[in-house]
Amino acid sequence: MLGSEIRVSLKYCGSCNPLIDLAKLGNELKEALSQDIGLTLVPPESTHIDIMLILCGCPRACGNKEEIRARATHSIVVAGETIDMVPVKEKDISAAIMKKLKSSFH
Amino acid sequence: MGMIRGDEYRDNLRRVKPEIYYLGEKIESVVDHPAFIPHVNAVALTYDMAWAPEFEELLTTKSHLTGEKINLFTHVHHSTADLVQKVKALRALGQQTGSCFARCVGHDALNAIYSVTYDMDQKNGTEYHQRFLNFLKEVQAKDLFISGAMTDPKGDRSLSPSEQADPDQYLHVVEKKRDGIVVRGAKAHITGAVNALGHLVMPTTSMKEADADFAVCFYVPVDAPGLIHIFGRQTNDERKCGCLIDQGNAEYGIVGGEALVVFDDVFVPWEHVFMCGEYDFVFDLVERFATAHRQNYGGCKVGLSDALIGATYALAEVQGTAKASHVRDKLVEMVHLAETLYCCSIACSCQGYRMPAGNFMADPLLANVTKLNVTRHIYEIARLAQDIAGGILATLPSEMDWQDSRIGKYVDKYLKGVASVPAEIRMRLLRLIEGMTCGTALVESMHGAGSPQAQKIMIMRRSNWEHKKKLAQRLAKIAEQPQ
Repeated sequence: MLGSEIRVSLKYCGSCNPLIDLAKLGNELKEALSQDIGLTLVPPESTHIDIMLILCGCPRACGNKEEIRARATHSIVVAGETIDMVPVKEKDISAAIMKKLKSSFH
Repeated sequence: MGMIRGDEYRDNLRRVKPEIYYLGEKIESVVDHPAFIPHVNAVALTYDMAWAPEFEELLTTKSHLTGEKINLFTHVHHSTADLVQKVKALRALGQQTGSCFARCVGHDALNAIYSVTYDMDQKNGTEYHQRFLNFLKEVQAKDLFISGAMTDPKGDRSLSPSEQADPDQYLHVVEKKRDGIVVRGAKAHITGAVNALGHLVMPTTSMKEADADFAVCFYVPVDAPGLIHIFGRQTNDERKCGCLIDQGNAEYGIVGGEALVVFDDVFVPWEHVFMCGEYDFVFDLVERFATAHRQNYGGCKVGLSDALIGATYALAEVQGTAKASHVRDKLVEMVHLAETLYCCSIACSCQGYRMPAGNFMADPLLANVTKLNVTRHIYEIARLAQDIAGGILATLPSEMDWQDSRIGKYVDKYLKGVASVPAEIRMRLLRLIEGMTCGTALVESMHGAGSPQAQKIMIMRRSNWEHKKKLAQRLAKIAEQPQ
């Protein structure tokens, strides 16, 4: 079970040729996380990460590596217009992730 | 020390005092001179992007020597994944700069010399490889931008280096001392030479025993005594002084910035000499460097093409032609050609293999195919961009006239495309396309990493003709001909 304050981190794929705007998505998520009392954004090098948000620009999902997932208890992978392999329009990704964070992990 | 940022790179440049000439003047500081600022900016971005979270995974890696995090451009590839990462990083940088960012040449030189020094030591019992490892550790620790300097002026191309009337047409050793060597000659078309911290120098053509003095590979700091840099002109380079919009890509320029580098009896200490007389290894060094460098072009030039295609698409929208079927067809063709080049770079990377030294090299045949395709497809992509842009590309009034208090209103009025978009947008897009498709930028795509004939020679060597012949003989039921 996760604690009352959930530690969330962001890790990008590398953005070689992204199909979605990863920087914009990252900024939206950082803003949303900063406004949610139960969620704390921590650097990807931190210890005790509860959820790693792996942001990949395309279905190749280069950022979805074992060594990155291993840094956290749970991972959510954005790969282009999908979240954990489920299609989501780009404009809805940040809201969908926040909903997933609140409903699945609180 | 480890990884540095763009401003630290600029500070490092200010600390060195190289001898640089341009347009008849001696240049005091490339960091502050308008002719060089775009080139410095492009290289600085290779540093800054490594620190940006969205690009970090691509632009950084772990040193196999120290385990420390390093900038990708100081890394020796140790897997096909590393080779693929390089191509993707180059594409990302090409997208962000719209220009050459220079740093890959020295990177490819590091990789080629790493493997050849190992091979030389295995055969001859020399100590080049350890010497080179010491140098590589310094490059990684200081995150140095070093240029790769291979091409000699060559003089009479029908003669070998030792047969030249003027031996200086190929850089060579003129003296061996107890503490180092003295070299004389020049290297031509050296990308990033004037804004690098040093040069990694390599021989340029296969050699025989008579050419032993020309078989030399070494590192020299950019301000070594006797080193003279003569910067090359570029199309519309005068626009760098006094224009912004008319430059097109004012931030990063149109090419990497090349120079003729003269070695006027330059001393090189032994610790920085990585080949001296081993003429039988020159072919391997040249081929491995060429392979590494030709591998790149389906990355960097595709990144540039992404930006060019974006500019062309945006311009079509501004000009009201984006929905025309022939325009859409041409845009699709531009993408098709660009992604074909990307396919080539990815393929030669995935088909890379391990060298005896432990590093990985891209497949040489496919790397040469990559570059040969670049020499054709980039020109076609440029042609299609110019086709869609229209003749205004060659007749556009200057930004000075657009800004003029009396006649600017006419420029603004008659340059408008669709009513809702300011004429300035159209002008900016046109200048960007002009800079990316006219002149120096295209020539770089043709001759950078070797001219088309150089690729054809390598493809000829690597094509396994006898195997192909036997395939056909078997299928056609033809018995093998007696030898």
